[in-house]
Amino acid sequence: MVTIDLAELSVRDGNELIRKHGAAGEDVEVTNPDARHHIGVGLISPITVKIRGSAGYFCAGLTDQAHFKVDNNVGWGLGDNMYAGSVVVSGNAGAIAGVAIRGAELIVRGNVGSRAGQVMKAGTLCCAGNANFMAGYMMYGGRIIILGDSGERLGEDMTGGEIFVGGSIQDLGADAEVTDIAADEIESVREFLDRYKISFKGSFQKVVNAGKKLRYDTSEQQRRSIPFFSFSGDSSYWNPKIQEDIHIKSHIGRYRIRGYGGARSLPHLADLAFKRDLSGAGHDDDVVSQVEMHTEIGGKNGANPLKLSMPVMIAPMSYGALSRSTKEAIGIASSLSRIAENTGEGGMSDAQRDAADQLIFQCLGGRLGWNIHDMLRADGLEIYISQGAKPGLGGQLMAKKVTPELAAIRGIPAGIDLRSPSRHPDILGADDLVIKIEEFREATGYRLPVSVKLGAGRVRDDIKIAAKDGFDFIELDGMQGSTGAGSAEVIDYVGIPTLAAIIEAEEALAEIGRRQDVEIVLMGGMRDGADAVKGLCLGADAIAFGTSVLIAGGCIACMQCHVGQCVTGIATQDPEHEKRYQASVEAQNIHRFLESVRWQIAAITQGLGYADVRDLSREDLVAVTPEAAAITGLPYAPEYRENRVPQAVKVN
Amino acid sequence: MCGIAGIMYKNTDQDLRTGQFLIDMLDGCQHRGPDSTGFALYGDAKPGQLRVRFFIGEGDEATAAVQRIQSSLAEQNAEVVEDEVIGNNYRATVNFDGDLRQFSYRMEHVAKVISIGSSLEIVKDIGSAHQVDDRYHVSSFHGTHGIGHVRLATESDVKPEASHPFWATGFADVAIVHNGQITNYWKMRRRLEQRDFEFSTDNDSELVAVYLADKLSQGVSLKEALRSSIDDLDGTFSFLVSTRDEIGYAKDRLAAKPMIMFENDDLISIASEEVSLNRLFPGQALNTKEPPPGTYNTWSRSI
Repeated sequence: MVTIDLAELSVRDGNELIRKHGAAGEDVEVTNPDARHHIGVGLISPITVKIRGSAGYFCAGLTDQAHFKVDNNVGWGLGDNMYAGSVVVSGNAGAIAGVAIRGAELIVRGNVGSRAGQVMKAGTLCCAGNANFMAGYMMYGGRIIILGDSGERLGEDMTGGEIFVGGSIQDLGADAEVTDIAADEIESVREFLDRYKISFKGSFQKVVNAGKKLRYDTSEQQRRSIPFFSFSGDSSYWNPKIQEDIHIKSHIGRYRIRGYGGARSLPHLADLAFKRDLSGAGHDDDVVSQVEMHTEIGGKNGANPLKLSMPVMIAPMSYGALSRSTKEAIGIASSLSRIAENTGEGGMSDAQRDAADQLIFQCLGGRLGWNIHDMLRADGLEIYISQGAKPGLGGQLMAKKVTPELAAIRGIPAGIDLRSPSRHPDILGADDLVIKIEEFREATGYRLPVSVKLGAGRVRDDIKIAAKDGFDFIELDGMQGSTGAGSAEVIDYVGIPTLAAIIEAEEALAEIGRRQDVEIVLMGGMRDGADAVKGLCLGADAIAFGTSVLIAGGCIACMQCHVGQCVTGIATQDPEHEKRYQASVEAQNIHRFLESVRWQIAAITQGLGYADVRDLSREDLVAVTPEAAAITGLPYAPEYRENRVPQAVKVN
Repeated sequence: MCGIAGIMYKNTDQDLRTGQFLIDMLDGCQHRGPDSTGFALYGDAKPGQLRVRFFIGEGDEATAAVQRIQSSLAEQNAEVVEDEVIGNNYRATVNFDGDLRQFSYRMEHVAKVISIGSSLEIVKDIGSAHQVDDRYHVSSFHGTHGIGHVRLATESDVKPEASHPFWATGFADVAIVHNGQITNYWKMRRRLEQRDFEFSTDNDSELVAVYLADKLSQGVSLKEALRSSIDDLDGTFSFLVSTRDEIGYAKDRLAAKPMIMFENDDLISIASEEVSLNRLFPGQALNTKEPPPGTYNTWSRSI
């Protein structure tokens, strides 16, 4: 047993030592913990860690295999996302004990705070005292044992798993019910209590999901859809789009869910023009090598930056919304073009990790597929707050796509209409967010850039918070971003256009004097190199492409992404449909598209008179609509409408 | 966006080092808010006397502000008993027996009022608990109770006047510290403004102070005011309130912001994190308690 005295060391240094001793198989005793945060975070060795006092937030968080013993109390987020292993706390635990655990055994001998076991997937959380309100909130699986009383709204919106209560239940949450207990279940609970030497003589009530909210009553049927190009038309008041919406709602009796992007005409980068006529640009055969485009993102605070061959990356899109083959193809293409790929929600597949040279791992509120091992093999971590297509809402993945395999990765029951939580259990303000970022950095040795993805809403405030909280970069997603499934009204009517978002972000950073040291990756309806250059001119440091990458790989824009029977094999988990998608072929198509973007960025930059993309500025732009002029403050110059951008594409 | 702490010794009139205790507690959770730190402290009240504190800035600006304040105090028939300039504050004890609310609104137009009360003094500035102590000698404050705050400035600038605690402008001795965000701020503020309340910042936490003071001035008990605040204020909040004789808390219905407390026969201590409570009892295992969502409580001195 090695003793680590936190009166002498910072938690960061202490954790490094714990991991080092863990790798050597030595048990550790931590003295003078003083209720500090992140003790033991990131440990993946099967050792025992004894904490002689109280620990703060995220004690034993993001760990696997280790066994922790805490003499006194713990703060919020005990055992966050813990896989195998155990924690025994002699005192009380704060809120969200056992958040997102994936198999660990957590024992709190005293009381637990609010929302114990939120979004947990597997394992056992046992509280020998009383549980505060909403224990089991949105849990997907595993077992909670409460020997004392449970507070209000027990099992609120739980999807799977079981809650055993030895005392009284103040009241049940939405979609939770008390059910009969089988003898073997009681036996299993008793065996667990015996193993941890917890004496309890009373009887139990068992609470499970009542099954009333797991699936929508009626799903949107796949239909011969009107093509997007007329779908988005605004020819008349009762146009075919409105009619289709009404037909669908008359069938399903609720809001319509669909995939793809917004159909409303909104101010966008297309409403800006370059000040120079660029139709002659790009004649130089060697333009790509003459313009400096290499971009590093995320290294400002000392993490290893993403190294991009051009200021471009792939926007976050999940394995789940998209097929495995599609994620593989995008990963290959990102490597060929030497840019970064992003997992989106729902975890990292081996195929995706192998395909992409640089891969950002996204963490959402449901912690679906989130785990320490994939964190350690990622090249960047991203905390998703919201997305441009549906800011403020969680993802939707309809039952057809929640296959057993996908459900296993995410740690959820198969075959449910998955509505991901819109909030993180442990991020309810900027102060919590600081502690969360620190946990990620602790878990990965401060090696990876930690970014935040913000759907454009209250951009000005959100950007200031993100800058203040010390993220390594910010991904800002405007309203023109697409989604695999979202409610139609939200896609079309909620959010802030990408053009307005980057302007607000720049103004916010200028107000706090942080423009020079905060990097922004702009996304949301980026279609080509011209859009990218305009984004860079307005202040973005890089541009992320999502929908256009799907189109490059064969998407036909039928808006049926949510159904799960994508005819091109992109937005499906059905092997029969996925067969149509040839990853190696589509990877080349996507790569060629990305290279066209590269060429266009180079040609336009050179045409504007620069040899480096970092020289681009808003002085290079004018607005060709009054709306865009009002949003951007650029001069209104309708005479530039005819200015063309170079379109010739030359790819080897 | 922050950390809060409060302490009250319930049944003693001993001379306790409350200032130092709050410094220790806030130092423990300074990581929740490194930008500014503040304290609401209570001294002995003398009949007919008020303690007033203002932000005056630095240098020539400060000199001019002090002149303005002194002449305005004279106009309001507030006779200065003693005064001093400390840090960027002007601090005075005055004899005054007029209408406190009108007095404070008038003074607010002269300089930035930090607090006015018969026993309350608010000390707040940018920097850590220890830095603020170095500047204002918080550790020399004695008394039975007080509250404090560390601030992470996110949506507004790092400015002394944007830091906590907030005084309920116009109401003697009421102060609050708040962790969270009041989302119906403008609606509630307009309601109070229609009834001639004035706000000196755009900070949502000031609303909590004015809201409670309004209730208290209507004769409602502090406990009842806290109860109704849970219905009337929307958003995420854990806040502490202190008056001359009481300390209390309220917590929103979703328990979105942390709060933990420890109580024994002698004292009640409440903070955002246990680390702050541990500073009061180094090396001891505390049986701490997390208040349930949507709850409130008050404690008062028995002496």
